[in-house]
Amino acid sequence: MSGILHALARHGYLSLAVLVFLESVGMPVPAALALAAAGAAAATGLLNPLTAIAVALAAIICGDTILFFVGRTTGWLLLGILCRLSANPESCILLSAESFYKRGRLTLVVAKFIPGINTMAPPLAGSMKMRLRQFLWLDAAGASLYVLAYGVTGYVFSDFLAMLTRGAETASRTLAWLVALAIVVYAVYHAVLYWKHRVYRVVPRVQADEVVRRMTEDAAAIMIADVRSHGYYDAGSERIRGSLRLEPNKLPQALQDLPRDKEIYLYCT
Amino acid sequence: MREATSARVAHLLRENGFSAYVIVGGLAGWRKAGLPMEVVPAGELVQLPTFG
Repeated sequence: MSGILHALARHGYLSLAVLVFLESVGMPVPAALALAAAGAAAATGLLNPLTAIAVALAAIICGDTILFFVGRTTGWLLLGILCRLSANPESCILLSAESFYKRGRLTLVVAKFIPGINTMAPPLAGSMKMRLRQFLWLDAAGASLYVLAYGVTGYVFSDFLAMLTRGAETASRTLAWLVALAIVVYAVYHAVLYWKHRVYRVVPRVQADEVVRRMTEDAAAIMIADVRSHGYYDAGSERIRGSLRLEPNKLPQALQDLPRDKEIYLYCT
Repeated sequence: MREATSARVAHLLRENGFSAYVIVGGLAGWRKAGLPMEVVPAGELVQLPTFG
């Protein structure tokens, strides 16, 4: 961790730019620490404060804009992937989209301070077709707040560097434990899922070409149902030809309308 | 688990007396096998809010 501070002292603006850029594209890099260190370096005359601010802002906005365009070109794919982890993907997508629609502008401004959200906000803005100019304004506001908050902290507290170095060592140990804990929780979660799903493994499975064979044999005797919880958001999305949508959330109502005399073939992603 | 949603729904349908099956590989497998696809009709798309 103190390596970061040494690098910052030696390569100044370049290492500052690299660190904040990496964080803005989602890498777990302690950019806030780098900003505070840059602030302290500026206080001792090692860096020019205005240049440091400009460099940091440019790097952050650059990284965020890349993610913005990733969101814009992949549409709802990203949100779909993230929501797949939740218990109810469909409502996860709807609620996240609605919440970001209502609070997205403010979210972009404060996102930098919230791990996780900082990486998600720019691509979501892109997914939701925010105008580039508006995005850039909001993102610049957010980036300025972030850079100033940490930069000024580093600048004001003269012995901040030493304190940070000590704090950072404790922080990295805590982080290592947290990562280990997260891995355990993840493994347990999947073990529980596996156990819960054991009953589903007795459901008969059919190869795709077998379904096609049945379809050409007697199309009226079968039905193909799309149970994906996403795939219906982006214009031009594709599905199996002739399939009908069956929303997993609305299954109880759908049971009335489903044909009892047909073979129902289900597919998801 | 692969085909998680379809397996869950198929199980539920079977409990309710339907003859339900899971297509192995899902949509990805179907596409990979080069079997017929179609574009989702505009009327069936779900509208999510956008800033546009």
